[in-house]
Amino acid sequence: MGKKVLKYIIVVVVVLLVAYNSVYFKKLDQVKAEQTAKTFNASSYAQNFWDKKLTPGLKDAIAIEKLIPMLNANPAQTFDNYSHALGIGNLRYFLIQGKGTITAIDADDITVSIAGLQGQKVKIATEYIFGNAARDAMGLININDFHNTMDFNNVSAEINAIIRSRVLPQLKHAKVGNGISFTGAIELNKEHLNLAQIEAVPVAINIQP
Amino acid sequence: MVMVLCGCKSGSDQGKHKKVAVIVSTLNNPWFVVLAQTAADQAKSLGYETKIFDSQNNTAIEADNFENAISAGYNAILFNPTDADGSVSNVLEAKSAGIPVFCMDREVNSVDAATSQILSDNYSGCVAIGKYFAEKLNKQGKYVEILGLVGDNNTWNRSKGFHSVVDFFPGLTMVAQQSADFDRNKAMEVMESILQAHPDINAVFCGNDAMASGAYQALVAAGKANDIKVFGFDGAQDVIESIQNKKIMATGMQFPKVMAKTAAIYADEYFKGKRDFPKKMPVAVELVTRENVNDYTGYGKKE
Repeated sequence: MGKKVLKYIIVVVVVLLVAYNSVYFKKLDQVKAEQTAKTFNASSYAQNFWDKKLTPGLKDAIAIEKLIPMLNANPAQTFDNYSHALGIGNLRYFLIQGKGTITAIDADDITVSIAGLQGQKVKIATEYIFGNAARDAMGLININDFHNTMDFNNVSAEINAIIRSRVLPQLKHAKVGNGISFTGAIELNKEHLNLAQIEAVPVAINIQP
Repeated sequence: MVMVLCGCKSGSDQGKHKKVAVIVSTLNNPWFVVLAQTAADQAKSLGYETKIFDSQNNTAIEADNFENAISAGYNAILFNPTDADGSVSNVLEAKSAGIPVFCMDREVNSVDAATSQILSDNYSGCVAIGKYFAEKLNKQGKYVEILGLVGDNNTWNRSKGFHSVVDFFPGLTMVAQQSADFDRNKAMEVMESILQAHPDINAVFCGNDAMASGAYQALVAAGKANDIKVFGFDGAQDVIESIQNKKIMATGMQFPKVMAKTAAIYADEYFKGKRDFPKKMPVAVELVTRENVNDYTGYGKKE
């Protein structure tokens, strides 16, 4: 009797062990993420874009003190010549560079008074680093390189992550009154141009104490 | 002699004899009426005979519409699908008959089926809404998300775009996420029931404007319209007016006329020999807030 019970217990334990080791549970989003990673790696694409396209192309950014008068004088032509976007519509992106003095440091941005263009201010975003400005501003990404919509959305998110980790730390010790030179991406609406509130997503920063 | 004359005629009037079908998911919704009518008008203005086919949100009727369009000799289809997966076979049928299909506003889940898909950039539009949402809530508070149809790609592209921003801020907590199928009345019911469990929420993000209107109505009935901020997506006329009247906070403006016109222009370019179309062409969605609402009208900008 005792032997029989022991035999049954051993059988049940073996069955439970086999069953436990035969079934695996994974989170659905983890499985989906693995499938996406197999087809397209947004992180490595963004890294490559940052190192091989964006960084070498920073010298081609248009100076803000030249861009603003051109936008005021001939907006349509200036948009045609200097702005880019992956899709169609009124939202277009420019890669700009500027120099000036930091006049305010707030929780979400730093305000820079632009040298050589009296009264013109640019806000450099320090908190809300989202959207497609840094991805699209140079016009170097071709939409046909992507098979699905989420891939190029993820590229934006990864480029923004690089900005948070590599660029924003340089602004940590900035103080009001410091000189600053920057390169950044801005979004402007072609139909309803608002040059009073320009916000740049920074891609390169140099603070002069 | 007759053959030669026919040949000459068809050669010289090549574009004028072509026909463009507009197959739309439903004509029982003003958004899709605008989309279909604009596509048909644009194709007509380019010199093509056009006809609108209503699929009544039914993939079986949609399949009949494709068969009829193919057998009636239409040369291109401007298409608003009823179902991202269920519509793929219809597009492939047209493709195998040599007819290009240009999707408008809604996509099909196939990279190769349609010649091009012209779609609202739902994700980026909701990134902009998410940013404004976080700013207006000072990165703190409890909120609810009301989703559209769970089987629709647009529902998730919008939700993902929104969450790509708000999830970044630990002070923002989502206490409920429920579907109301893009329907105003359902959204009102969903909001009423959520308010029972979570009377202390600060904001609601809705996947379209019809649901935003329904949610707002529920908040008015509960006496909480001034305390809870409502955000929508679409750019419907009644929500634009609600933003002007300081009721709803913001919406994402889509441009159905731009998508429809682009699809018709692509068909025209296809007839003229162009083949290298982008597989997916996003159309920018613009953030409409109380600060810039006077620049906009329903489904577009003020001219």
